[in-house]
Amino acid sequence: MTNTAPLVATAPQRNGAGGRGSRPSARRPASGRKTLTAYLFLAPFLLLFLTFVVGPAIFGIWMSLTNWSPFREVQTFVGLQNYINLFTPGTVTASDFWKSMSVTGIFIVASVPFLVVVPLLVAILLNQRIRATTAFRTIFFAPYVLGVAVIGVIWGYILDTQSGILNHLMGLIGLPSNVPWTVDVPWVWVSLVGVTVWWTMGLNTIIFLAGLKGINADLYEAASLDGAGTVNKFWNVTIPGLRPVMTFITTTTILASANMFGQSYLLTKGGPGTETRTAIMYIADQGLSQNNMAPAAAMSYVLFAALAVISVINFRLQRERVEKGLK
Amino acid sequence: MIKPWARRAIGASIALAVGIAISGCSASGAGTGGAVSADGEYSGPDVDVTFWHGWTGGAAPTIVPQLIQKFNAEHENITVKAVPQEWGDITAKMPLAIKAGKGPDVAVLHGDDLATYAAQNLLQDAGGIIDGLGYSGDDFPKGVFDKGNFRDAQYAVPWSVTPLGLYVNKTVLAKAGITEIPTDEASYTAALEALKGAGVAGEWVDGYVFTGTFEFQSLIWQFGGDMYNDDVTEATFNSEAGVKALTWMTDLVKNGYSPANVAQDGNIKALIAGETAFNWNGVWQTTNSAFADLDWVAAPVPQIGDEKAVWSSSTHWVFPQNKGQDKNKTAAASVFVKWMNDNSMGWAETGELPAANTVREDPALLEQYPNLEPFMNELEYAHYETVSPGISEANAQITLALNEALTGKKDPKSALDDAADKANQILKANQDKYGD
Amino acid sequence: MTTVLSRRSMPAKRAWAQVSLYVVLIALALIIVLPLAWMLITSFKTDADAVRAPYSLPDPVSIEAYQTLLTSGQQPIFLWLWNSFAAATVQTVLILVTASMGAYALARLEFPGKKIVFGAIISTLLVPPVVFLIPNYLIVQNLGWLDTIWAITVPGAASAFGIFFLRQFFVGLPPEIEEAARIDGAGDIRIFLQVLIPLARPALATLAVLAFLGNWNDFLWPVYVLLSPENLTLQPGLNQLQGAYSTHFAIVMAGAVIASVPVLILFGIAQRQIVESVAGSAVKG
Repeated sequence: MTNTAPLVATAPQRNGAGGRGSRPSARRPASGRKTLTAYLFLAPFLLLFLTFVVGPAIFGIWMSLTNWSPFREVQTFVGLQNYINLFTPGTVTASDFWKSMSVTGIFIVASVPFLVVVPLLVAILLNQRIRATTAFRTIFFAPYVLGVAVIGVIWGYILDTQSGILNHLMGLIGLPSNVPWTVDVPWVWVSLVGVTVWWTMGLNTIIFLAGLKGINADLYEAASLDGAGTVNKFWNVTIPGLRPVMTFITTTTILASANMFGQSYLLTKGGPGTETRTAIMYIADQGLSQNNMAPAAAMSYVLFAALAVISVINFRLQRERVEKGLK
Repeated sequence: MIKPWARRAIGASIALAVGIAISGCSASGAGTGGAVSADGEYSGPDVDVTFWHGWTGGAAPTIVPQLIQKFNAEHENITVKAVPQEWGDITAKMPLAIKAGKGPDVAVLHGDDLATYAAQNLLQDAGGIIDGLGYSGDDFPKGVFDKGNFRDAQYAVPWSVTPLGLYVNKTVLAKAGITEIPTDEASYTAALEALKGAGVAGEWVDGYVFTGTFEFQSLIWQFGGDMYNDDVTEATFNSEAGVKALTWMTDLVKNGYSPANVAQDGNIKALIAGETAFNWNGVWQTTNSAFADLDWVAAPVPQIGDEKAVWSSSTHWVFPQNKGQDKNKTAAASVFVKWMNDNSMGWAETGELPAANTVREDPALLEQYPNLEPFMNELEYAHYETVSPGISEANAQITLALNEALTGKKDPKSALDDAADKANQILKANQDKYGD
Repeated sequence: MTTVLSRRSMPAKRAWAQVSLYVVLIALALIIVLPLAWMLITSFKTDADAVRAPYSLPDPVSIEAYQTLLTSGQQPIFLWLWNSFAAATVQTVLILVTASMGAYALARLEFPGKKIVFGAIISTLLVPPVVFLIPNYLIVQNLGWLDTIWAITVPGAASAFGIFFLRQFFVGLPPEIEEAARIDGAGDIRIFLQVLIPLARPALATLAVLAFLGNWNDFLWPVYVLLSPENLTLQPGLNQLQGAYSTHFAIVMAGAVIASVPVLILFGIAQRQIVESVAGSAVKG
């Protein structure tokens, strides 16, 4: 579990960078009674966590080492065979799996910048002295309360190549009116990223907005006295002030994008061909629909390893920037 | 292990809930037990029978409860409780539920799922039940009963068949000055050409299961091919017939008879909106409420290839092999199945053809539902879905090939070849996975 | 929010900036709102018009879709609404109680194994959820919870996100607050209940909304573990309404409206607290 250390290490730095003047938490000698108290506080959560997360996760690892099927009486231990198959070209799953991993990779790369930058800009706009911020906040958050199934139906209806209203409106203003939004590349990517931004930007927006409220107004005043312009203030005050929030948002957004599945399942059916079949979509299909739970478990842990690497890199990068920022 | 129902703190009535039968019946039992008398009546103790099915839309929400209410009224010792849910949800949850002893006592499955369930020991061998009810293959359209046969045992009783047909928007067709519904390649192409002249893309073709894959399958059979070889060990959909079929479909786009990049369901929407004249679609659309004020007609699919053929799905009654299945419930369920088949006339309201010949051949059916006639006439040459455990995974490759060819990612032949390679690997894996 | 800053008289340039700011915001709001409005509009069309006239306003305005939904004998939608509400509430309470206690220990107490426990919790966020499905099904089955409210509330309450979220908030609170209480002779339990929980109220409100939303919108897991129609929740129930084969957009949109309105109201009520609290957790964490 190499990914945990940077996460733990990051937390105190966030305090430092947040400008909230936090101190190291008061350290008291950890007596036996203290330890007991702590674990008693943790007990209800740990009970649930061990039963429904850790247990199944370990069970999943065991599954990935067998030819496990819920419909067979005897499960055979196959060692690392399910993993070896994934790394052996020409097996049934190898090419499809890696294709789906690359699709997930493309989606992360294509969506995360928008999912971070758009909410950031919106939050900055909402942070200006304006009326009706409450109304705007509610509006920007509203799509997020909808379930993915509803998102699929609404946008499938709007993005239909021939009868969708988006193409219709584009035709009215002289743009191409037959864009295959949900049918062909590269448009499917535009749709998937666009719909995801539309759906989830409200969440990141209110987090950024909250982060902006936390930046000391004196810093802006000081920058103004130094003759800094708007752009200058953005880079030298806003961005450094938002770093801890940025770490939080990039981490959760990367994970959310890595788990993307509903949008392409409902809007593009993974198509054209398998161009938008994400890793989670493929794993879920293999494990749940095709009764290939053991290979699906192996795939899940390969994906886990990939995400762990990405998370470590993300935290390293963020930490480096925080350090630079402090200098 | 089984916690009392009282544990449910908040929520709905549980009066109808079916507890787990822990009577310890033998798991391998076939037949109906001793409780069904010779005249097909259940004489055992009072039982609740849980029935899962996937008819959630259209007229079904009215028809199913009516039929069940009638059945329950006529059978004082049987209470059938229907659980409607999406077909996809049934596929997802039923296997695990059966293993948990929480599955239904009777359910309806599509033909292509039967072998997958049977191979996983999720269904009871229904041979005894079927003998008891007096059914044989002759009671149903040709080829349907055998879809329930797996490794020399019979697992299912046919319930309905759902062939593809040609839906025609007559208003649009009239724009091109055509009055005759095309029946063969020549007249169909002529109609498409005339429609093109009138500025209408006559048939919108898509690369999705609904309905491109059904159309492709109809065509491959028309060209004399098949999806798989006889013992389903090898994919043959990339044969010459398959390439012809798919090329015919991609040519629709190439020749301007179909727009490119039709999204799923785009074609039926276009037919309703009056933007196209033809749509190859299932008999289930005959009761689509959106057709209400449309001037439409259904016809057999045109014969494009060398012989008549059309894709059809079928649905079947099955008796799940729940952990600790109560034989009395199964016996009562078999009575229910027989009664439903005998009383399935009203089923046409849901846009499916009753499988029972006695009901389907009753002239009263067509009097009431004249739109069904073309579909009925297709049954002589209908082909049903391939039966083999895990086949849906291989079938998914066919749709993939269609999608790739219709979006111009690959030419028809290489799309089908690649898909067949993958399907062959899957078939081989299935043999290991489901035994042989 | 904006009232903190006093309004000064603005030069013309500022006024112009202000106007363009509103233009941008309103344009963005329109992009957000129009698809939602389209959903609402379509739900008031007849089944045929939703397909035949996708670009026009409902003519006539039809409540057919809502009638179909609300009166169908086979689809007890009010019962599903109630089930969803009950399940989301139970799970939210479970998450708030277990996560706040656990987060308190992880953030404010020193004990051996702390980093390992926290690391293990965080690392499970990276495991694709699909792995948990079948093992959890078997666990729930063995507990006798299939087809009960426990199946759709308890396993999902083991939320690493919740404890991570609250821990970040607790960590950011200055240590003085406890020290003062300790001098007054308060123990850990009293500090937790009387000092930290009140301070964490905004963060708890945020987590409550997110937890409620997560449970409310879950449609994969309930499909597996709920077996009787009267025990179903709204999202898997709405799946049924699409019908097996056809595209009944008006009905689906009406279902979406019914499903989203309660949550939007909840957000409306909680939103002031949410904005404050996310600030707390993200910035201080």
